[in-house]
Amino acid sequence: MQSCTHEALQKNDGITGERVRLLKKAVMDAAPGICTERALIWTEYFKRKENRSKPAVIGMAEALSEVLGRKGIAIHPGELIVGNFSSKRVGGSIYPELHGLPVMLDLFKFSGRETNPLRISLSEKLRLAGIVPFWMFRFLGIRAYRSIPKKVRLLFDQLIARYYLINEAGGISHFAPDYERLIAMGMDGFAQEADRLQAGVQKHSEEWNFYEGVKIIAEGVSCFGERYAELAERMSGTEPDTQRKAELQQIAQACRRVPRHGARSFVEAVQSLFLVQIALNLESLDNSVCPGRMDQYLYPYYEADLAKGIITREKAHEILCCFSIKMCEIVPVFSRHLTNFHGGMFNGQVVTIGGVDRDGKDAVNELSYIFLEIMDELRMRQPNYHARVHAGSPEEYLDKIFSILSAGSNSPALYCDEVIIETMRRNGYSLEDARDYTAVGCVEPVSQARSFSSTDAAIFNVPLMLEMALNKGLRFGRPFRSGAKTTAPEEMKTMEDVKAAFEKQLRYKLIDLMDDLQAIERANRDYHPTPLTSMLIRGCLDKGTCSTAGGAQYNFSGIQCVGPADTGDAMRAIEQSVFIEGKFSLRELAEKLKRNIPDDKDRTYLKRIKKFGNDCEEADRWVRYVIETFASTLSSLGPNTRGGKYVMGLYSVTAHEYFGRINGALPNGRRRSESFGSGISPSNGMDKEGPTAVLNSMNRLDFHAAGNGINFNMKFDPHSLRGPEGRKALASLVRTYFHRGGMQIQTNVLDPSILIEAKDNPKLYPHLLVRVSGYSAYFNDLTPAMKNELIRRSYLSCL
Amino acid sequence: MNTLKGTLPQEETSTAMVFDIQRFSLHDGPGVRTTVFFKGCPLRCLWCQNPESWKRPAEMAFYEQRCERCFACEPACPKDAIVRDAKHRIDFSRCDACGDCAAACMNEALRTIGKPWLLTTLFEEIVRDKDFFLDSGGGVTLSGGEPFLYPDFTLSLCAMLRQAGIHTLAETCGWFDSRLCELIAGSLDAVFFDIKHASASAHKTLTGKDNGLIIKNFMALCELMKDIQPRMPIVPGCNDDEENIRATATILRKAGKQSIHCLPYHSLGNDKLMRIQSSQAPAAIQPPTPTELERVKTIFKEEGIHAVLYS
Repeated sequence: MQSCTHEALQKNDGITGERVRLLKKAVMDAAPGICTERALIWTEYFKRKENRSKPAVIGMAEALSEVLGRKGIAIHPGELIVGNFSSKRVGGSIYPELHGLPVMLDLFKFSGRETNPLRISLSEKLRLAGIVPFWMFRFLGIRAYRSIPKKVRLLFDQLIARYYLINEAGGISHFAPDYERLIAMGMDGFAQEADRLQAGVQKHSEEWNFYEGVKIIAEGVSCFGERYAELAERMSGTEPDTQRKAELQQIAQACRRVPRHGARSFVEAVQSLFLVQIALNLESLDNSVCPGRMDQYLYPYYEADLAKGIITREKAHEILCCFSIKMCEIVPVFSRHLTNFHGGMFNGQVVTIGGVDRDGKDAVNELSYIFLEIMDELRMRQPNYHARVHAGSPEEYLDKIFSILSAGSNSPALYCDEVIIETMRRNGYSLEDARDYTAVGCVEPVSQARSFSSTDAAIFNVPLMLEMALNKGLRFGRPFRSGAKTTAPEEMKTMEDVKAAFEKQLRYKLIDLMDDLQAIERANRDYHPTPLTSMLIRGCLDKGTCSTAGGAQYNFSGIQCVGPADTGDAMRAIEQSVFIEGKFSLRELAEKLKRNIPDDKDRTYLKRIKKFGNDCEEADRWVRYVIETFASTLSSLGPNTRGGKYVMGLYSVTAHEYFGRINGALPNGRRRSESFGSGISPSNGMDKEGPTAVLNSMNRLDFHAAGNGINFNMKFDPHSLRGPEGRKALASLVRTYFHRGGMQIQTNVLDPSILIEAKDNPKLYPHLLVRVSGYSAYFNDLTPAMKNELIRRSYLSCL
Repeated sequence: MNTLKGTLPQEETSTAMVFDIQRFSLHDGPGVRTTVFFKGCPLRCLWCQNPESWKRPAEMAFYEQRCERCFACEPACPKDAIVRDAKHRIDFSRCDACGDCAAACMNEALRTIGKPWLLTTLFEEIVRDKDFFLDSGGGVTLSGGEPFLYPDFTLSLCAMLRQAGIHTLAETCGWFDSRLCELIAGSLDAVFFDIKHASASAHKTLTGKDNGLIIKNFMALCELMKDIQPRMPIVPGCNDDEENIRATATILRKAGKQSIHCLPYHSLGNDKLMRIQSSQAPAAIQPPTPTELERVKTIFKEEGIHAVLYS
């Protein structure tokens, strides 16, 4: 059996052009490293006495301008789009004032670790170690609470993260910047607007300071572009190759113009946004700064250039390839602890194509097709390519998508416009703004340029709530109660009693989470305002308010419900075994769970109770219950400090694996420390009836409850999707699923043998792509446990 | 076959033995399909890929590689039919296929093959995927074994499915009561009809029955219905010789058919023989190479028949 994945690897010749091939090779061959520049320059700035008393927003703008002004810059051979995220060809920065301090605890482990090793030299390590004392009591997590016991509790809590992990402690990001206006009017345009608005407010008021910060950083980013112009001019002076010399002159010309001014051509537009993309990643969390609907806002430039005869389709394709590869030059620097939750070297920079425009008309254009070609051709870790689909999507567009997917590519992930737009409407978006959505991060829908939704604010361990509900508020095997006090299992007479206990535990811990999260929200607002981000989100300039303080037009926070399928299956198993069949009493069942289901017969019995994902109404309604309960509890707990709702997300990245590891046994037959199902996918290996059954189960859920998006990862063995029948069948599955209310889907065509080879011999398949929870990553970037899970799952699907 | 006296539709309590239901089948007719495998077959083809379909009654199977030798099955068996053999677990001389061992087995190493399905239950099971059938132009495929071993059941089922707007197709070996032809033509949308060998004597050697009735039924059905697609397993050394291919082409031409679907032999059925009670030895046949398949295709082409090769 010839594997599609294998074909994909051999497909290097699908790459158009030597330039693109060389650029890709250079990036893929570069060992990811840690760049110290951001951390060191930032520290130098804040160590200066005079800077410590400045208003936070001005401090941030000056510090970032200093980083942009002093960081090393480079233009690599063959590049048409320039700009470097870090001092390494592929590298990541450390943000000591955010999650950087906990990250630096791992300083001496980065290069040696098995999962996602990062290169760093001894002198770099020592220099970083040198800034630890300065930030020890100044980083965001420690500033969240004033009281010392609370500080200590929060830090320890988050180091173990049993109930929840607050990602927002590492900064917010997660937005789709207003690149449309950036490209059109440049940094100067924003500075002028800020200047005009500043004239109308009182000097040194909060608004005044905010506008001042915007003006400072607008200048900082403009100068950053001009540094590349100078470098390109210098390089062109000594360049012997005449063609490259001309290219360098063009680069110099473009960077002389953008991002300070508006772009005059397609290449300037792409150059402008990419330089700002770098700056945004250096301002706050380097995660999920998302260009979003590039096919839409770049199209006018493409069209104009075509009309002027200064671009061809091939040239646009090449420029976008160059851009796409550049987006892969950044990696997140996570501690091993954080890698458990966010595996796979994932920066979540989303590019979304297709869908409807603000008037509801289909918006697919030639650039959408070029992007489809590029994602198939390059198959790299970043950006995350997503495609929007609606009832009126053109056949040609769908055909192209499904032929790419059925041939084994894992991009694009697919989004259903009808369901997402309706969900956003229900959460308060205007129809036009909802239509203008893009995903950010993994799967979270936001309005391009208008939302500041901390979509990955926190991830929550839902199955643990059921564990505590069955044990009077204690985790199994713990001496002290950490949850709400609820009825003992022997007292529970019906499923209603079990539900009541579960709901009480859930509410109790969600309230804990909210307390901590809001402290972090306030810390972000007070200590880490983001003037550059705010400049690029509509609403902030008008209100004179930073995005961290609620300046954006739309504000949300996303809380992820992890393990919904396992929790629902577990409740179904309780219902069947205790209250229908009377096989055990609830007390007996709870005792068995505490002892990790010692008898294999009990386990087999529990595992055989039909689970979510098998088109079984009795099981599916429990998963529906779990997600609806979670969503309604959340919505009763808002608003956040930015005035927005808390909304539920059904995705888990790799948190389902981590939470699975720390949770006790569950009534669905899952033993202690086994992984949960990812996102909203059926729990592991439990979908036995094939894809149509899984989709029937999925369509029993109401995704309108998931304002923060869902990740539904569907796996296929390549053999069953072979040939044109396979492509048509895949299209039919997705169409039917979307038509019946499905929100999102990612397909994962796997060949188990390839994965085993890749696991034992990472060098053999260094670039193997897989999909895990809403993002594309290379197989080799996953932890061994995740590799095993993928291998096991793909075998099950081939049985 | 006195069942023909029965009047359609069948009572709801009517049952048939089914050993597998595969949803999301893509290679048994157009679109996304649910394939129902009926248990029981009049033929005994040497190359059979579903030997567990031969007998009508339920039977036990042992999947050796899944067994963890916990012997939870031993006390569960009321007939004392569990053996501690390396490769086997069931003494078929004692086994009455009650299924108790399978219920006790924690690794699905012991399984019951085949269970009786009520007409209505099977209908409901199939209808679950109606949305996918309608979107993809798919439907249900009745396979086996031989679906027309249960003529009243299958024809009633097809009538119900047709009423629900679901496309129906049967894969048949062709060995059924000729009086059924008219009913089949009237209640099914399409038929895949196997022509395994053109020669009566060779057919008898290879499958246990001669092909007289089969060819007769094929001709009759071709008269009666349009959507009938001849198919042929390509089994090296058994039916892939030039003479047989040309003779098969002659039959097709007589029936007014211009194409044939060729299904290359594969050895996936061999493992199954080890798991069930069977006196048949695994066939020592190698799957045809692409070159061999192309040769078959070329000969058919010379005969004016378009051969579609399955993968």
